[in-house]
Amino acid sequence: MGLINFLIYLAIMMGIYGILSLSLNLQYGFTGLANFGQVAFFCLGAYVTTIITLTFGMPFILGLLGAMMIAGLFGYVIAIPTADLKEDYWAIVTLASAEIVRMFFLNEGWVVGGGAYRGGAFGVGGIPQPLKSYFSPQTYPLFYLCLVIVCLILTYLIIRKITDSPFGRVLRSIREGDDRLAQAMGKDVKKFRLKAMAAGGIFGGLAGCLWAHYYGFISPYQFIPLETFIVWAMVVVGGKGNNKGAIFGAVIIILFYHSTRYLKDYIPIEEVTLASLRMVAIGVLIVIVMLFMKEGVIREKKKEY
Amino acid sequence: MLKLEKVYKNFGGIQALSGVSFHVEPGSITGLIGPNGSGKSTCFNVITGFYSRDGGDIYFKGEKLGNLEPFEIARKGIGRTFQISQVPEKMTVMENLLLAPKAQTGEKFFNIFLKFGRIARETRNYLDKSKDILKLLKLYELRNEYAGNLSGGQKKLLSLGRILISDPTLILLDEPTAGVNPTLINELIMAIKRLRDEGGKTILIVEHNMKVISQICDRVIVLDYGKKIAEGTPREIQNNEEVLEAYLGGNARRGFAP
Repeated sequence: MGLINFLIYLAIMMGIYGILSLSLNLQYGFTGLANFGQVAFFCLGAYVTTIITLTFGMPFILGLLGAMMIAGLFGYVIAIPTADLKEDYWAIVTLASAEIVRMFFLNEGWVVGGGAYRGGAFGVGGIPQPLKSYFSPQTYPLFYLCLVIVCLILTYLIIRKITDSPFGRVLRSIREGDDRLAQAMGKDVKKFRLKAMAAGGIFGGLAGCLWAHYYGFISPYQFIPLETFIVWAMVVVGGKGNNKGAIFGAVIIILFYHSTRYLKDYIPIEEVTLASLRMVAIGVLIVIVMLFMKEGVIREKKKEY
Repeated sequence: MLKLEKVYKNFGGIQALSGVSFHVEPGSITGLIGPNGSGKSTCFNVITGFYSRDGGDIYFKGEKLGNLEPFEIARKGIGRTFQISQVPEKMTVMENLLLAPKAQTGEKFFNIFLKFGRIARETRNYLDKSKDILKLLKLYELRNEYAGNLSGGQKKLLSLGRILISDPTLILLDEPTAGVNPTLINELIMAIKRLRDEGGKTILIVEHNMKVISQICDRVIVLDYGKKIAEGTPREIQNNEEVLEAYLGGNARRGFAP
């Protein structure tokens, strides 16, 4: 039973991170926006749904929609002053903006309703889980897994629709370096960047919402920049510019991330040391992929006519 | 069609354009020539909005072009190619063409989910057009190749193809024949002439190949050090002493022989 529960947990993580990875892939893999602040959407999604469902006691579905909307809006807004920046500056700005979001929730405890030892650095617990009363504690994770998988599939289908459309074609032309060509063809490059950030943000927010309701507890310390880099690892390893690759990357990285848990039986190293070694394992994986499969495990597929 | 009035552009202390005025007649092919660094490409970039001008006015179809963004100018119907071909490397030749038509329904975010019938119809239409254009440019066999794998000359052709499908009123071509083999140059010349004669397009062309200029241009404008030094038919230009002096610096008159 313990193992099955662990596998369900693993699958839920893969699903949630799969959504995050798809969202970053839309921004980085297709549009070439080096967004190093992906965790901001995740964080916003988690906090917004918590505020809506816990503080105001509204239903889960409103929390979900609110999380997606606010995160999408945030993506759009941070892109307005930064859309003309070059890739490396863009990376710094987005990294900083994610930290700003985290610091906001760290310092402004009142946004989740306040109270003693609640909000800010203490985090927020007791986030309601949707339809909890209809299931036994044993079967609820299974239901949640189904919910996550439905969300993942919907995200995949919508993002695939976007990337296959003429809109997606313009995004890819923006990724391929020079803006001038797209401009000369009458494309409002800046607007396309804003929309790509907003669309990515919406799904980042969705992932955050699912995560918050699964754990039931969130705190600013869960949304450190390291999370962004884990999502980046998923996109880079899985294959940037390929939606299936993004999901595959999430599966592989989550497996690696949790693999050390089992190695402790076979390797004579202390558990604490092993836990730190998992980041090393992901690093090694990235290096190997970069050396032998530069474009990721599943390469971008060519559209033939 | 297009009129420049005393257009200025400075880069630091360098006057790339100092008071350039000329106009382009509708339905004509006008050549823009001059030695390297004479301001031809700068002139293109100012017209298409990639550089902001430091003075002067530009009129297109009698309407004054303010300080518009490049994409807004493109939407008004001015299409251009670049001296060094810009191609999205990891997009196929066919996708490069499908990218070019302006204001496609499927480029608006919400239309993707609302108007798929119309998007599919448009795409089919553009796909048919693209096939014809690729056959004309002898790129059809390469349609599923990544544009980054094409040769320099083929990229030039692809740039021209993008212009053909996006159907602008005024076409600015920046050295369309550089790096293209002689047989293909002849076909390019034919294609450009057809654009004028059958398509009714107006073309402004920067070119170093004098044979091309004398074959297709109705009028030629000569720039030197950011100033217009001569204007006239190709024949008049070829006999203009000042042009010969500026352009060729005395020797190497080969390409200019009448």
